[in-house]
Amino acid sequence: MTDQPSDLVQGTLDMLILKTVALEPMHGYGIAVRIEQMSRGVFRVNAGSLFVALQRLQRDGLIRGQWKATENGRRAKYYVLTEQGRRRLTSETRQWDRQAAAIARILEAS
Amino acid sequence: MSVVRSILGGLRSLFLGKETSRELDEEVCEFLEMAAEEKMKQGMRRKDALRAVRLERGSREATTEVVRAAGWESLVEACWQDVRFAVRLLIKNPGSAAAIVIALGLGMGMNTTVFSFVNALLLRPPALVQAPDTLYQVWLDNPRSSGAGRYLPLTFPDYIYDRDHNQSFQGMLAFDGDPESVTWNRSGEGQVVMGQLVSGNFFSLLGVNTVLGRAISPEDDRTADPQPVVVLSHAFWRESLGSDPAIVGKTLMLNGANYRVIGVASEGFAGLLVGIQPDFWAPTTTVEQITRDTGRLRSWHSHWLIAVGRLKPEVSEKVATAEMGVLEHQIELDHPDLKRNLGATAFPETLIPGPYRGYVSAFTALLMAVFGLVLLIACANVASFLLARATGRTREVAVRSALGAGRGRLVRQMLVESTLLSGLAGLAGLILAYGTAPLLLALKPAGLPITLRLPVDWRVLVFTMTLSLVCGLAFGLAPALRAASVPLASHLKDETQPAGYRKSRLRSVLMTCEVATCTVLLVGATLCVRSLRNASSIDPGFNTQHVITATLDPGSLGYSEAQVRSFYAELSERVQVAPGITSVSFIDHLPLGPAREQTAVTAAMSPTPGEPEAVPIDVLRVAPGYFQTMGIPLLRGRDFSSSEDKEGSRVTIINEALARRLWNTEDPLGRRISFHEEKVGMEIIGVVKTGKYRTLGEDPLAVAYLPQLPPRRTLIVRTSGDPAILLGTIRREIHSVDLSMAATDLETMQQYMTLPLFPARTTGLLLGVSGFLALALTSIGLFGVISYIVSQRTQEIGVRMALGAQHGDVLKLVVRHGLFLTGIGLAIGLGLAMGAAQLLSSLLYGIAPTDPRTFLGVALLLCVVAVLACYIPARRAMRVDPMMALRHE
Repeated sequence: MTDQPSDLVQGTLDMLILKTVALEPMHGYGIAVRIEQMSRGVFRVNAGSLFVALQRLQRDGLIRGQWKATENGRRAKYYVLTEQGRRRLTSETRQWDRQAAAIARILEAS
Repeated sequence: MSVVRSILGGLRSLFLGKETSRELDEEVCEFLEMAAEEKMKQGMRRKDALRAVRLERGSREATTEVVRAAGWESLVEACWQDVRFAVRLLIKNPGSAAAIVIALGLGMGMNTTVFSFVNALLLRPPALVQAPDTLYQVWLDNPRSSGAGRYLPLTFPDYIYDRDHNQSFQGMLAFDGDPESVTWNRSGEGQVVMGQLVSGNFFSLLGVNTVLGRAISPEDDRTADPQPVVVLSHAFWRESLGSDPAIVGKTLMLNGANYRVIGVASEGFAGLLVGIQPDFWAPTTTVEQITRDTGRLRSWHSHWLIAVGRLKPEVSEKVATAEMGVLEHQIELDHPDLKRNLGATAFPETLIPGPYRGYVSAFTALLMAVFGLVLLIACANVASFLLARATGRTREVAVRSALGAGRGRLVRQMLVESTLLSGLAGLAGLILAYGTAPLLLALKPAGLPITLRLPVDWRVLVFTMTLSLVCGLAFGLAPALRAASVPLASHLKDETQPAGYRKSRLRSVLMTCEVATCTVLLVGATLCVRSLRNASSIDPGFNTQHVITATLDPGSLGYSEAQVRSFYAELSERVQVAPGITSVSFIDHLPLGPAREQTAVTAAMSPTPGEPEAVPIDVLRVAPGYFQTMGIPLLRGRDFSSSEDKEGSRVTIINEALARRLWNTEDPLGRRISFHEEKVGMEIIGVVKTGKYRTLGEDPLAVAYLPQLPPRRTLIVRTSGDPAILLGTIRREIHSVDLSMAATDLETMQQYMTLPLFPARTTGLLLGVSGFLALALTSIGLFGVISYIVSQRTQEIGVRMALGAQHGDVLKLVVRHGLFLTGIGLAIGLGLAMGAAQLLSSLLYGIAPTDPRTFLGVALLLCVVAVLACYIPARRAMRVDPMMALRHE
């Protein structure tokens, strides 16, 4: 079980995407690969949920997309974090830290 | 706000649909492509790599589908929540919900009823006909006259020429525009049935099949050899022949001749004319045999065929119209002696023939407008009621928004509620329309041979649904916006708002609009009802009391001239001596009916030099005693004598209008008039008083009476007492003279007179109903608004009374406000009514569209209603105990 890539915790994909594109502008595949690499293969992002999330984030004005050429001559849509997105990332990260710490305390208590 | 944004995003993707989804497609493609490349770098073959990616990441199609659905998913789910919440609210307040549904349902029901007429008359295509939109009617066009009389049906030679020479149509059929009443000899006893004559290609060109036997073919319809065959309508076969499965091959005796049944048409097929359901169809070339009108097939002046062509796919309507004009011109060139000077034109095929469509549309549009206004009043009522409730719900709204509901979400919730209400009202309206439409049909005079079906089909459903939706949004939007814009803090603190007019300004505006609309409707209704009363009292020029009429046609049974003569002589003799009958006569067709004979005459040997002026006249053919029986005063000269009914007796009686037209004040007796430019004229032996001949509202019409009657005649009997009890006697007398004879319209003259009054009566009734509904809704609305204002000001009134205000002061305060609103509404309404009444002027008889008494009366009535609507809440306000009011807080 542990070796299998698992699904993301509900509601965390948005945060992870924001975090990923905060480092540098990135296209959809790049985001997926980066999340998988950074989680050391624990998370596997499928195309459906990735693009739903990207559309949602765009609609809420947290990221912005732009078509550009890739390093090997293809065209792809690169996403950049907006100012609003940066603020959201900060607040979500803080909230996540608090929640994760709280959950950890509860689980360790027994 | 995210809801609003997602709605906007959703809308944008609806509008930019293609662009967005193409972009998404490309993006997903790239994604999968890159993933595949990654795998190929590790040594996979491209095909395997692509499959692996599909398994790991999902396919392109599935992904785009998921993304597209996700945008809307949340919205749909939220809407469902709203609907459930709205239903719970409705169940909690069943009383107010019922009131709204009833008020709106009435308005929508009336609109749906009118629309079902529009649908049946104007929108529905002919039943069972294939591709009806490629069919066009061809009419002759007389550019010298105007109105509906400008267009004439084709004559038989016109039809044959157009059918054989046109290049625009795949085929061209024709049918009898004025179906024949035919006497069916049913085992010895006469029964009147309706037959329509159709060209041989009628069924094949329309694509209509038979359930039994075959349809009429071009071989049956040859001029040289007309076949006496009929195709029965499914309804006639079922109802009169008991669905006899062996009917094909049997014969029916129609108008004295045998016709072989060759088939039964498909169920539901009723031809191409609205309101007419023929019992059988026969070939057009049998017309002379059926109507005994010899020469009809060769006549260039007998206009009786409506021609319909199926347009070739590559030809436009414009080209076809132009071609018909050219063909008609060619006919004029080929026959220089015709001198008809007619053009031709094409109309899209509709159940109402093209030339009359405009009139029917105008009339139904007027009705739609009238009932639309009633609905508007109902909507304004509901809106003002919901506004009041929205004010009452401010606390609920405040709590919900404090808990995080966005403004958009609140507005949507309110709109879902109002749409739900109007949807229920639409349903109620449909049920109401289902019940009232047949009632309206019952207004039709029994003598009118029209059967109209008013199916509630998808068009009616779509109409009512759209109406509900629009109404729901219309009356829901204002309260919804109002409710959603409450300042939070003050309402959570239960601060009682300062009462006053300003708080209810929107409701007051609505109320004013209601009064204005109601004024317009009441003025229209009053004008129409009064015009109807005037029209009922118009003197038609003859005495309608104590008269019985019955139409007989022995000629259609194939009787010879001598037989016809002896039949009428015997009938006249027998009826004359029956008890209670004072005089008997005949006419070829009754005045004010649909039939007419028109021609033009000139004064023979006129004193003015050059071409004498031709005067258009109507011709009526009467037997001796007609004027006496009808009670028409003979002003000069004498009546026809019984020996003058032969062909060749060159005498005529004219009416005063014609005498005046030709000779002004000179004595016309002994002078002559010429018909059709004949050299020898007819001698004038009498002058009678001018009456009404075509419509009750007409200007004096020139008429000449001739003594020669066709075999088809209308019997006219004057009785000394109530004519209704003698109808049976007349029927018995007719049967005792000839058993196989059937009288078509056996009725009293007063029953007959319902026909010319039908349009005025229907309009009067419908407008009367709309006016009554408008008045009722408006008074309820006024009452509601005033009561609401009073309840809002209870505290203030209490203070005033505590400070010494008298009951009268309070009453004045409340009534003044009500009258103020009504006054503004009235002023606007009366102004609008002035304009609207001009639209009615063509329907009005004997009353000016600006009749001051009507306007004044309506204004007074509304003021009285307003005072009453104010008085009840005002009295409640006066009884307020000052202490209670002050403690109310």
